[in-house]
Amino acid sequence: MTPVFAEVNVEAVVIFGLVVAITLGITYWASKRVRSATDFWAAGRGISGPQNGFAIAGDYMSAASFLGIAGLIFLYGFDGFLYSVGFLVAFLTVLFLLAERMRNAGKFTIADVLSFRLRERPARVAAATGTLAVAAFYLIAQMVGAGALIQALVGIDYNLAILLTGLFMLTYVVFGGMIATTWVQIIKAVMLMAGAIGLSILVMNRVGWNPVELFNRAEEQAGGGSFSLAPGALYTNPIDTVSLGLALVLGTAGLPHILMRFFTVPTAKAARSSVLWAVVLIGAFYIMTTALGFGARAFLGEGGVEAAGAGANLAAPNLAQFLGGGAGSFGGDALLAIIAAIAFATILAVVAGLVISASGAVAHDLWSNVVRKGKDSEHEEVLVARIAAVAIGLIAIAIAVGGGKDLNVSFMVGLAFAVAASANFPALVLALGWQRFNTVGAVTGVLVGTFSSIFLVLISPKVWPGPDSEGGLFSFYDLANPGIISIPLGFIACWAGTMLSKERGNERSFHELYVRSETGLGAEVAPAASPVPAQEGTRIPTSA
Amino acid sequence: MSVPAGGQLRIDWEAVERAPEFQELVKRRKRFVVPATIFFLVWYLGFIVLAGYAPGFMGESIYQGFTVGYLIALTQFVMVWWLAAWYIRKSDREFDPLRAAAAAQAQRDVDQQRADHASRFQTGEEGAR
Repeated sequence: MTPVFAEVNVEAVVIFGLVVAITLGITYWASKRVRSATDFWAAGRGISGPQNGFAIAGDYMSAASFLGIAGLIFLYGFDGFLYSVGFLVAFLTVLFLLAERMRNAGKFTIADVLSFRLRERPARVAAATGTLAVAAFYLIAQMVGAGALIQALVGIDYNLAILLTGLFMLTYVVFGGMIATTWVQIIKAVMLMAGAIGLSILVMNRVGWNPVELFNRAEEQAGGGSFSLAPGALYTNPIDTVSLGLALVLGTAGLPHILMRFFTVPTAKAARSSVLWAVVLIGAFYIMTTALGFGARAFLGEGGVEAAGAGANLAAPNLAQFLGGGAGSFGGDALLAIIAAIAFATILAVVAGLVISASGAVAHDLWSNVVRKGKDSEHEEVLVARIAAVAIGLIAIAIAVGGGKDLNVSFMVGLAFAVAASANFPALVLALGWQRFNTVGAVTGVLVGTFSSIFLVLISPKVWPGPDSEGGLFSFYDLANPGIISIPLGFIACWAGTMLSKERGNERSFHELYVRSETGLGAEVAPAASPVPAQEGTRIPTSA
Repeated sequence: MSVPAGGQLRIDWEAVERAPEFQELVKRRKRFVVPATIFFLVWYLGFIVLAGYAPGFMGESIYQGFTVGYLIALTQFVMVWWLAAWYIRKSDREFDPLRAAAAAQAQRDVDQQRADHASRFQTGEEGAR
């Protein structure tokens, strides 16, 4: 049996320890502030716009987008970059269609918005299904990625790495709720930006601050590999690429852990300004990722491909080591350790966000409003939320450990975005904007969106790689990304379910939801601003 | 715990919806959001389609290895920042005052209700919706 701590990177462990100590300190501080359900899920609605912008960036940019995209650019050049453009453009969908309206109309979860005007229990069950499907796929992908990455970077065993990640994730969420989660995400975003800026400076310094020189050096180092400054190196089926693009651009607006962040700010104005902060950070980060991917290609060359490991996830860490003076040098090891710690913080921030959003679906939607029909106390709701978080975390740990490193991470992430875009997004947009929309439509849409995405991914070439490893086993269907089919299906199902059902009477509550979501009239305000529920003689709460 | 319906205050949502301030707000917001959404979707999907179907064009070098594809990709970043900043500016200057006006209208309406109730000295039905 190989020792668990074979070739442990000591510097990395020390910096890990520092990150853990700081975040646990924050969790302790936050734990004393979590009293109500609003504190637990929405950080007491006391997060400012800029803070929320950093937290969104921290919630959104996973290790996949940090190390994965740098690696893809290192391997494939232009096509690797294609991914990051979609991740960024997606925030315009969030800003224009959902950010403020979610803040104005909802409380803690996506289901709050749907159940506002639809029959509460079926609407909540449907929305919770969509939320849990997205959170589960995304969470498992993150955990598996975390295990593999930490093992490669730090040298601790895959299973132990997952256990540690899961343990810290649960500590933040269970004790510190959204307050701790938010600050973990903010710290992570700051670390990630600092790391990317630092490495980019080192890269640009080596090419005389001339981006064109970087392009040239990278192209010279293509070395007959897959790297190309032109498209076509990674994505060979254009329809598949468009399908992926659609899922990214619409799916982000259906990610429960991202939408949940808009409930943590006091006003709709803060919600929209947080999106501006987020896109500035995320956009700048992806541009720097390009510099890192190209830098890795220019300095590590085709010879660095093998050392970069599966999916070239280690291209950025290896680049950091090279820039610091190479393996064995103090600077090289220190930079590698810093990047490893940033990757670790990155994973923790994302999984914590996912777990808290899933706990909202279980405790707030399913338990409190469906099982207990809203008759439970707030104390009970928060208790159930904590239990749910632990259960969800344990299940994710078990699947990640049981499924092992061989679980296909990119397939799970693709699935999460496809479900978000095909199930959650259509239901939300139609609930806010289509007067005729009803419960049957929402339930049909969410179910069709969720299950068509899962079905299409299950028959895709990723799962059935076919004998020639080119197309899939099912020759009539060769898309890796189901979005181009499942997103229209989700919308059509919402429409068909609505039209085919006799259910009427949602129009009336539509007026209220419509006015609330557009103006913020009657929206949930920060408790600090109104310690008691609105009573006669008080002003109408408004977040405008 | 369902979402409380505006506390105990009765807001006549349909009246607010009919109010000219609200209509103006929705009209102006749509006038920005609809074309902007169409624009960014077309610009982004166009980029993806070009990458898929015209790799030669996208791979053409403009200046020493800096390709058409990268130039269009960079315009996507600029587009996101610019549209987001523009929307927020418009919201602060144009949409928020209209929202405030719509809210004020609703507040006057509720104050009126309260005054009516007070004058009739009857509060029993206040909680009913």
